[in-house]
Amino acid sequence: MPRTYEEELKYIERINGHCWRIKKGFVPNMNVEGIFYVNNHLEKLMFEELENSTKFGGIGGFLPGMKQIANVAALPGIVGRSVGLPDVHSGYGFAIGNMAAFDYNDPKAIVSPGGVGFDINCGVRLLRTNLTEKDVQPMKEQLAQAMFDHIPVGVGSKGVIPMNAKDLEEALEMGMDWSLREGYSWAEDKEHCEEYGRMLQADPTKVSQRAKKRGLPQLGTLGAGNHYAEIQVVDEIYDRFAAGKMGIDFKGQVCVMIHCGSRGLGHQVATDALVAMEKAMKRDQIQTNDRQLACALIQSPEGQDYLKGMYAAANYAWVNRSSMTFLARQAFARCFNSAPDDLDMHLIYDVSHNIAKVEEHVMSDGKQKTLLVHRKGATRAFPPHHPLIPVDYQITGQPVLIGGTMGTCSYVLTGTEQGMKETFGSTCHGAGRALSRAKSRRNLNWYEVLDELKEKGIAIRVASPKLVQEEAPDSYKNVTDVVETCHAAGISKLAVKLRPIAVIKG
Amino acid sequence: MENYQFVVIGGGISGVTCVESIATFDSTARILLLTGTPLIKAITNYVKVSKFLEEFDIEEKPFSYLAEQYSNLVIKNQVVERLDTDKQIIVCSDNTQIHYDKLCICTGARPKLLSNTNPYVLGIRDTETVESFQKKLLTAKQIVIVGNGGIATELVYEVEHCSVIWAIKDEHISTTFFDEAAARFFLDRIQIVKEKQKLNEKRRKYEVTNQPTNVEISSSNICGGALGPDWAANRSMKGASSESRQVHIEYEVEVKNILTPEQYQQRQHPIENLPVSQEEQQWPVYVELTNGKMFGCDFIVSAIGVTPNVEMFLKSANFTLGIDGGLLVDETMRTSIKNIFACGDVCTAGWTLAEHWFQMRLWSQARQMGHYAGKCMLAYAHNEQDSLTMDFCFELFAHTTKFFNMKVVLLGNYHENDMKKYENLIRMTPGEEYIRVTLKDGRVHGCVFIGDTELEETFENLILNQIDVSAFGETLLDPNIDIADYFD
Repeated sequence: MPRTYEEELKYIERINGHCWRIKKGFVPNMNVEGIFYVNNHLEKLMFEELENSTKFGGIGGFLPGMKQIANVAALPGIVGRSVGLPDVHSGYGFAIGNMAAFDYNDPKAIVSPGGVGFDINCGVRLLRTNLTEKDVQPMKEQLAQAMFDHIPVGVGSKGVIPMNAKDLEEALEMGMDWSLREGYSWAEDKEHCEEYGRMLQADPTKVSQRAKKRGLPQLGTLGAGNHYAEIQVVDEIYDRFAAGKMGIDFKGQVCVMIHCGSRGLGHQVATDALVAMEKAMKRDQIQTNDRQLACALIQSPEGQDYLKGMYAAANYAWVNRSSMTFLARQAFARCFNSAPDDLDMHLIYDVSHNIAKVEEHVMSDGKQKTLLVHRKGATRAFPPHHPLIPVDYQITGQPVLIGGTMGTCSYVLTGTEQGMKETFGSTCHGAGRALSRAKSRRNLNWYEVLDELKEKGIAIRVASPKLVQEEAPDSYKNVTDVVETCHAAGISKLAVKLRPIAVIKG
Repeated sequence: MENYQFVVIGGGISGVTCVESIATFDSTARILLLTGTPLIKAITNYVKVSKFLEEFDIEEKPFSYLAEQYSNLVIKNQVVERLDTDKQIIVCSDNTQIHYDKLCICTGARPKLLSNTNPYVLGIRDTETVESFQKKLLTAKQIVIVGNGGIATELVYEVEHCSVIWAIKDEHISTTFFDEAAARFFLDRIQIVKEKQKLNEKRRKYEVTNQPTNVEISSSNICGGALGPDWAANRSMKGASSESRQVHIEYEVEVKNILTPEQYQQRQHPIENLPVSQEEQQWPVYVELTNGKMFGCDFIVSAIGVTPNVEMFLKSANFTLGIDGGLLVDETMRTSIKNIFACGDVCTAGWTLAEHWFQMRLWSQARQMGHYAGKCMLAYAHNEQDSLTMDFCFELFAHTTKFFNMKVVLLGNYHENDMKKYENLIRMTPGEEYIRVTLKDGRVHGCVFIGDTELEETFENLILNQIDVSAFGETLLDPNIDIADYFD
């Protein structure tokens, strides 16, 4: 018997003004509790989404964020809590904006590709320049065009940086070290990237032929959909000191943000792993609440193979972002007739928001543990003095780059101690959309054509058309709400706000 | 007699890409490109959008810029007369003889014409024929376009100030690309005035070099490289009519007869007077359709497909042909004759095709084949053919184009002929977008995207990943769900 909305609510309890807990029992087999961070607006959306699913039987096969967070809490070996960041929304397996950590040394603990995402190491990097908005405005179109010319975009686009199969193997193994060797990266770029742009345990032999074939023509391409490059200007500086450490000194300062991942290669690595793990789950007697949460024991061959292949895919994404950095620097240099060095086009930082990493964390009982932290649609946010962040950010904490949806503003935050404690050093990644119910509209005249086709024996189903702007439901978790919630909750701190002045996309 | 390791015949997109591919992967290779017409080149900086950009950003980079980098690449304007495939010798029309180790035929295809002799019947294939068309159009008030593929569809949209009678043999327009429902979606747009091109669009533009050809081209059978994407975009296609737009479509017809004015007079058959013409017009040519209707017009465009340029090669050796008349090639682009490869429009894909790929004589495929053929030729030359694997582009049919100023993306098994084999999920927002996703066993196998749907990449991945999406049903295309994000 499915529960009513009121019955469901009994499992959800407010902790404080921006945080709720999901109690065990909300879904079966929960090993730990779930929590999610919201502000007033986001709270409304979370609960509406849950209500819709109880009252109307959900929306197709899509589960509300709260349920997904809870299903993750039911995975074997999870420690701490299954965390929903403020931008949490429906995703394959894990929700996007869900962090979950597993005890690496627990023989029963699992790793799940759904907790990383298909676009492995989808991430964001931010370059600064010493240009002002005034410098760039008259050149804006030309600059955007130059970026367009240098960076291939769109479905089926081919990279301009020549690469053969051997190059790809090396890139998968070496990550940004490959870019550095080939001259696409500056030495300082490595320092300002998570993992120094290379996951050492990567193993290209764990990446299938098909994945490599998909990846070969796509290096240095932006793809389409929600991946983009933006020319941005600093709109607000909230934390002058932290911004200064990043080389951001004044409003109107021009920056370049690049948002993309491992494209087809990541997708194939994830797909291959899901297939292999589904098979192994019976053997290892692993059960989950959702088929999309296919997973494997971390220590099993499938688990280890996935990790090593996933790290290689992550390396590919860093090579991809490095290539695009190179191309962006070229574009600017051409337009301003100046070396990228003279334009101070340094890499501020590069963050991943679809990845799983092995990290050391101190648990609530004071004990230190090695954890496998899944961050899907979530960004690492390490605090000041953490050994894994670059020297220049030791006092301020790790920069966290939050790209809004293309065309809206973006933010830079810094990591905090509180975040380290509450979410294993994780924070949001951007924006999102809650599941919503919208009335469907039908254009009767047009549908005659479809009836005719049906009569000819063609199987057709019809989805609702897009609604006009005014009719569209407000289900949008915008980036400003999201980062302000993170800031209010203390899990990361606002530093800079950026607004786009040109967008390059597929 | 000259000798080359690699010889490519044909200076269109497949030939030039093939040469580029060989030169990129082996800078020591001795390569010869033989072309009877001016070379295709790529304009790498897209000239578009604003006056500002046009003034600053024109930079043409001929493909031969690679040739300039590689001293071992030679380009010659020559017409090939015949091949001696046993001795591996090419004989040119001026009696020059060239020995090859590996040869690639990239001679493309030419438009099928309703009539080879009638001066009022035009085909459109290369820049020369386009320019000829533009010139004739300037004084034209009414034309008949016969054909239902890409060129016909693009032309109908691009032609302004000239009444167009579009004669198609199918039940609906643009059958190469659209099913009936998509065609219906577009019909509303046919009569609207041509819109301005959208800003900041990223499309690669192709043109022809202005290289002087100091070679006498003996036969006029040779046409230049096919036009690239957006070939019509920057060309003025204006006729002499005062009315900016009039399109009339005749369905399920073929051309029965083409008549001179005298022949027409003798027939005394009434012609269709479309609303535009005020008085009795005297047309230079008349078209009789199989439905009995007769139209007068200034000229006729024959856009009924292309036929591969294989005749000269068939005379030289016993090449195996595919069912569509092209040179049959295997999975390493080899023809049935030793050491001879073929790619682009002249060839027919003879390997076991991947589930979601099929051959269509498209610019993009010609390019992909050229690139792959180059790699194959190199591999055979170095005895490394065992390490060859097909490029990934042959796994999934993907084509991006524009019709009636709307973006169109076609993926996998999208074709109308397949609709009965699959379940079809459709989302249509009038005037804005049309999406059809074909599904089988809960997996996506093909898609049609019209408009700025932003879904192409997501569904490309769904086809390649073969993820089971049956749980979602129709909500897979629910516009309120960010499906791209979901599968990210």
